[in-house]
Parts: sequence; C-alpha cells; structure tokens
Amino acid sequence: MPTARSERRYAPIPFWRRARRILLLSAIACLIPAGVSYVGAMSEKHNVGLGVSSVEWLRQHGGNRLVSQIENWYYTLNAPEKGGPPLRSLPSVGVADTSGSGESAPKPAYRPPRVAPIIHPALPGEGVWTPAAKGAGPRPPVLLTTFRSDPEYPQLVAGVAWIDSGRTHLSYAPGLAEPPPPLPHRGPSEVPEAQRRRVIATFNGGFPLETSNAGLIYRGRVEEAMVNGIATVVEYRDGRVDIVRWHSGPQAPANVWFAKQNLPPIIYEGRLNPNLSDGPEWGETVNNAVRVWRSGLGIDRRGNLIYAAADNQTVESLAKTLQRAGAVRALELDINEDWTSFISYSRPGAAGPTNLLPEMLRPADRYLTPDERDFFAVYVRTGEKW
Amino acid sequence: MSLPRDISPGTAARRSLLADLLAALVLTLLAFQLAAGIGVVGFMALLTLLALVAWIAIEAIAHGTARRRRTRRERAVRAATKRESPT
Repeated sequence: MPTARSERRYAPIPFWRRARRILLLSAIACLIPAGVSYVGAMSEKHNVGLGVSSVEWLRQHGGNRLVSQIENWYYTLNAPEKGGPPLRSLPSVGVADTSGSGESAPKPAYRPPRVAPIIHPALPGEGVWTPAAKGAGPRPPVLLTTFRSDPEYPQLVAGVAWIDSGRTHLSYAPGLAEPPPPLPHRGPSEVPEAQRRRVIATFNGGFPLETSNAGLIYRGRVEEAMVNGIATVVEYRDGRVDIVRWHSGPQAPANVWFAKQNLPPIIYEGRLNPNLSDGPEWGETVNNAVRVWRSGLGIDRRGNLIYAAADNQTVESLAKTLQRAGAVRALELDINEDWTSFISYSRPGAAGPTNLLPEMLRPADRYLTPDERDFFAVYVRTGEKW
Repeated sequence: MSLPRDISPGTAARRSLLADLLAALVLTLLAFQLAAGIGVVGFMALLTLLALVAWIAIEAIAHGTARRRRTRRERAVRAATKRESPT
C-alpha cells in the first residue's frame, strides 16, 4: 500500500543536468589543488607580469605543449607581411667611436670586419661596429651593430654584439626560477654588486631546462645530465669560453666550470645546420619556423663571441644572421619578447644600461634586479682597462 | 544489503547528490592521473567551470525571462477577466 511519503514522488533530474552537475563538481575539485599551487607560485618573488608568470607556471606544471600550441597559433596568425616600405634609418647603438683618438695601442688591435649589408643601398651605419662603452680605448671589449638581415622582410632589423674573449670574462648566472631549485650557490640572480664596476654587457640564457631537454653544468657540478650532440656554451676552468657540440657524456669533465646546453647547433664549423627548417629537435616550444623574437650566441674564427637577436625570426633566419656576422659555431638562446635581452653598460658600475635594440621589451635594468631566468654577464677581465 | 526504496523526495535528492559527488571524485582522480600535470588540469578545469557557469547563467536568465513573461500574461488575463465580469 502506498504511503503518504512515497506519494510525494521525487522527480528525477534529467541525465544531462546530472552530467553537468558532475562536471561542475569535478571542475571545482580539480581547481582546488591547482589553485593552491598557482597562488603559491604567484606569491613568490617575480620581476615579470602576472600574465607571463601564469604562463610560466602552466609550462612548469605539464602545460608546455598546450602553451606552445597556443603560441604557435598566435604567432602564425600575427606573422609579419613580407616587403613593406623601406627603412630610412637604423636604431643607433653603442657610443661614439673614439678609438682613433687619445692613447695609442701597443699593437694593432683586431676588430671584426663590417657586417656586409644584404639590402642595398645600405643605410648609414648599417653593419658598422660601434663600441658599447665609453672610454674603452682602442680595443673595445664589446662592439655593437645593426643590419637588415632578411631581404624578404626589409623592415626587420637585427642587433648584433661582438665580444672580445681576450679582454672579457663570460659568467653564467642562475635566475630566481631557472634553473629550477634545488641549486646550490644560486647567487643573487642579478649582476652582483661587487662585480658591477666591471660588467660591460648582460644577455639572456637559453631555454628552461624543462623545454630544452638538455643539460647544465654549474660551478663544475652537473645540475642536469648533459646530452651528447647538443650545442653547448662552455667555460673551462682556465677562463676560456667555447661553443661546442657536446660529446663528453652526461658527466662533467674536470676542466669544465659551466656548460649550458640548448638544442642542436644552428651553425657548426661554418655551415648552417641542414635541419634548420624542420624537425622536432628545436625544443618543446614554438615551432622553429614560427617568426618570434629569437636570440643566439656564436663564436668567430678567433674565439670571440657574437650575440644576435631580432624580432620575427625563424631558427633559420637567426642562424643566417649569426653566420653573416662571422659566427662559425652557434646555438639558439632564449626566444619570445619576454625573454630576449642584450644590455650593454656604457660606463663602469653598470651605469648607462641600454638595450641592444629599442624594441626589446624588457627594461635595460633587467639584470640589475633579480630576474626569473638564467643569464650571461660579460665582465672586463681583471687587469684589463675599462 | 540494499538501499531503502521508500524514501522522501529530500532523501532521494541527497542520495542523487552523493552519487554525483562520488562520480565527480572519480572524474577528478582520473583527470589528475591522465593529465601531464596539475597546470593542465587546472587550466582545463577553469575553462570547464567558466563554460558551465555561463551555461547555467544563460539558462537561469532564459527561465527568469520566461517566468516574467508568463506572469505578465497571467496578470493580463486576470485583469481582462475582471473587466468582463465586474460582479
């Protein structure tokens, strides 16, 4: 016999409503631990905006492919048009060249040859090296230039820096978050106060270890297993710097002080890597053919370093820029506008910081405050006159 | 042992909610198990939550509009009925 209770029948919820409720509850449950992790990460010290930090958090927590895919779509949709009106001038870089006046050099100092312009007529100062610092004498340790590096995109200007390895010392500095902790002797993640009187330039490091699938040796200790065949910036314990294709296995050789790897070489023994235009070997990040801010580091025949960066570059166009500037071996460094920086200091004490290209997004004092990512600092060697 | 079948509508609603909570928990564990990381889970969950909240909000607005329209129509009918039979 039906009771009064069962007469007030429970109207079952339609299936789709229950499915929606389950999804809603599940989404809330998923968001709780993710939110705790996100808020924790965002409350740490940062020198980039919330948007960039959020993307970095997503990358570090399994979202690398997702972010790269979204970036690929975005950059492909916003790719620059070929051609366009010709430029009338280039951004001025460096300081007035005073090397011809004043003190005389004991012997003729080597200077790299002018970067031969690709687009004619050449613009004033195109490819002409200018000292990065004032009063650097007849042998400036860092020279800068700009040139239009791609005839199909005559609006694009590449910034290039040449670093005299004989007069300078290259130092690798870990950032606040990259390489990821734990890292003994991380340092201040900025140019140390005590070193600022000698710093002449600073520039961005490579991809985060997670996306480069490559290794790192820091202060002689392996922090991430080294990978054979990968392009590597090496500083030996005697202070020599080189760019090599790594063949020493996962461990740190006794004579290596730091070694930072990033993708396969883009130039090796004077020749461009034949796989520049395809393949998944260019890291778990935006496709190698997508045009974004890119930077790279090369070495010339005399062992001097050459840094190059420009907006709207593919891996191939970056490699060609470095090759034109004289690099015989080179690797790609970090990419995207948020991470690409080359800053020169015109006077001792890290005074007069200036970005290599005015379009570089990050401020010129980026490495004078703690930075997220690892970077390189170029110091005038002890005993060398500024 | 089987669950009592002769239950009040309130108990039935609570039982259905509990079943949905358990299903949501299983789905959550599955998501964490299958996804590449907590970031992907959080990102996807945020998108899902936003989509569902938008859906529920649109549904509520549509229901509210329909209810107001119905009420207005009923009032109009009542007023017309009153006018026709003043006694």
